[in-house]
Amino acid sequence: MKSLVRPLVSVTTYRRWTFLLGGTAILVPYVLIYAGLLQIMGHADRQTADRVLESLVMLVVYIAISSAVAFIPAVRILSRTAAETLLGVRLPAETAEGMRSWRSRRRTAAWWVLHIGVGGGTGMLAVLALPLALFLLQTPYTGERIGREFLGRYSELPTWFTVALGLIVLPLVVYLGAGVGAVLARLAPALLGPSPADRLIQLERRAEQLIERNRLARELHDSIGHALTVTTLQAGAAVRLLDSDPEFARRALSAIEETGRTALEDLDHVLGLLREDPSARTPQRTLADAEALFEQTRSAGVEVRAEVGETGGIPPVVSREAYRILQEALTNVLRHAGKVPVDVRLGVRADGLELEVTNPVATAAATRSGGGSGLRGVRERVALLGGRFTAGSDGTRWRVHVTIPVVPLMELELQQQ
Amino acid sequence: MTDILIADDEPLIRTGLRAIINAEPDFTVVGEAADGAEVLPMVRTLRPDLVLMDVRMPAVDGIQATRTIIGTIPEPPRILVVTTFENDDYVYEALRAGASGFLLKRARPPEILQAIRTVALSDSLLFPAAIRGLAARHAAGRETDRVRRARLTEREEQVLTLMARGLSNAEIAADLVVSVETIKTHVGNLLAKLGARDRTQAVIVAYESGFVRPA
Repeated sequence: MKSLVRPLVSVTTYRRWTFLLGGTAILVPYVLIYAGLLQIMGHADRQTADRVLESLVMLVVYIAISSAVAFIPAVRILSRTAAETLLGVRLPAETAEGMRSWRSRRRTAAWWVLHIGVGGGTGMLAVLALPLALFLLQTPYTGERIGREFLGRYSELPTWFTVALGLIVLPLVVYLGAGVGAVLARLAPALLGPSPADRLIQLERRAEQLIERNRLARELHDSIGHALTVTTLQAGAAVRLLDSDPEFARRALSAIEETGRTALEDLDHVLGLLREDPSARTPQRTLADAEALFEQTRSAGVEVRAEVGETGGIPPVVSREAYRILQEALTNVLRHAGKVPVDVRLGVRADGLELEVTNPVATAAATRSGGGSGLRGVRERVALLGGRFTAGSDGTRWRVHVTIPVVPLMELELQQQ
Repeated sequence: MTDILIADDEPLIRTGLRAIINAEPDFTVVGEAADGAEVLPMVRTLRPDLVLMDVRMPAVDGIQATRTIIGTIPEPPRILVVTTFENDDYVYEALRAGASGFLLKRARPPEILQAIRTVALSDSLLFPAAIRGLAARHAAGRETDRVRRARLTEREEQVLTLMARGLSNAEIAADLVVSVETIKTHVGNLLAKLGARDRTQAVIVAYESGFVRPA
């Protein structure tokens, strides 16, 4: 019983009705122009039944053609706002690119036809139902009789019946609107929500932001954290030894001065990165630029033997990160092992993008493992992308190995949910 | 006299620590290592009593170096991990590897010296609140019944609880009003029952299994 009454008293129902009537308001000019067209074509001469059916079919076709306005991206924004406020559906955010995509425009057009066709049609019924209800309710006073021919006999409806009918009409209309509104609210996310491609773009952006934040955190940790630690310790020691070893205290003070100065430069750099508009930054390099990177490394005196597969189709965020890792790895080779030949393998395998950089290790660093702060940052960022990172030596060769899933982001989203 | 080896990749940290330590009459810095890879040979030749070990070093990090020292040197020196940040999973790994405690680089000189004294001269651990929290977090259901399965006696459970609070054998003995020798026996027994290599490991097990909760 409660659920039967709820649609009649719920605010949602009337809000959704407003949405349907909005569709009616847009539908009216369409109908008027259409009626005019029919007149000109001399449509009225044909048989009634055919005429009604044909007109209805043509009206739908006409609306479909006229919904070309829905291909304007602004109409999508308008439709989304209307659906969110009046139908009460929550639509996840869309990117500007997503909104302009042809796929989204087509979906907007479908929604537009639904809104003015189904929604507007329902609203039209309500517009007709209101006078009908009034007419039926006033029959006891006007004395008007309603009847029809049934099985060759004219029968008149009793007054109580017409009044009862008049009482039922309005709630019925409300129920109808509640039903149609609910169906439209169900369909809205599919037609007005972000497309899978758009979601992917958004996820990639989010991953990129996380990576960037991680990079900044790492920079702050390595520069400012380190400098403050050094100065604190040196100052503590200097205070303690001020009288017994003034020479040490003097050296400590100049170390503090120098460290502070360097830290400020680092801070300048990090703050610069923070203030910078990421979109205005120079385009970041991707694996498409790998060959140039190899050339650059070769010119530094390192022999690079590269085996590069097709990397065109991988998501930009992965491609950019892979480029950075490659750059980091090659720089490390030069820094730690010197001018030794480097083997690079790069390609898309079953489990995603695979990148491997190997080089013979210099004897001094033969036991190194784990890696410095650069590689640590890489490990954290690869983890953010759902990938795996290993770096280490097998005694004779140093190997950096990275796999990053190429279509991981949807899955990542699922995991997060 | 306590001989100390400093392992840190930052020269300014090394000189600072060295100055603070050498100003103490009973402490001597016998060597400085700039990387984890240099620590093992220096420990072999210099035989220090304690190593101040930075966790993050470029080639071989403090965890790896700690693991090697504990694993290869008979009667290894005590290892005190030094770190910039306390909420550092690396520190925790180093403790798992067998370090006796950890020390923040931003600690005041008297605190630094006290920490060295605690770890070098007694059998107690330096297990500050931050590390207890880390241990409890790392537990996450891991080996929750390891202590229960070890079937410790009531006395051994008491000793383990006090060890986890950082008490030395002498302090535990005073607390339970028994001799230090008795406590040593209890400690030996409970280490064997828990399958723990040393005191640190036993305490880590106590926290990870939820037997002792971080205060």
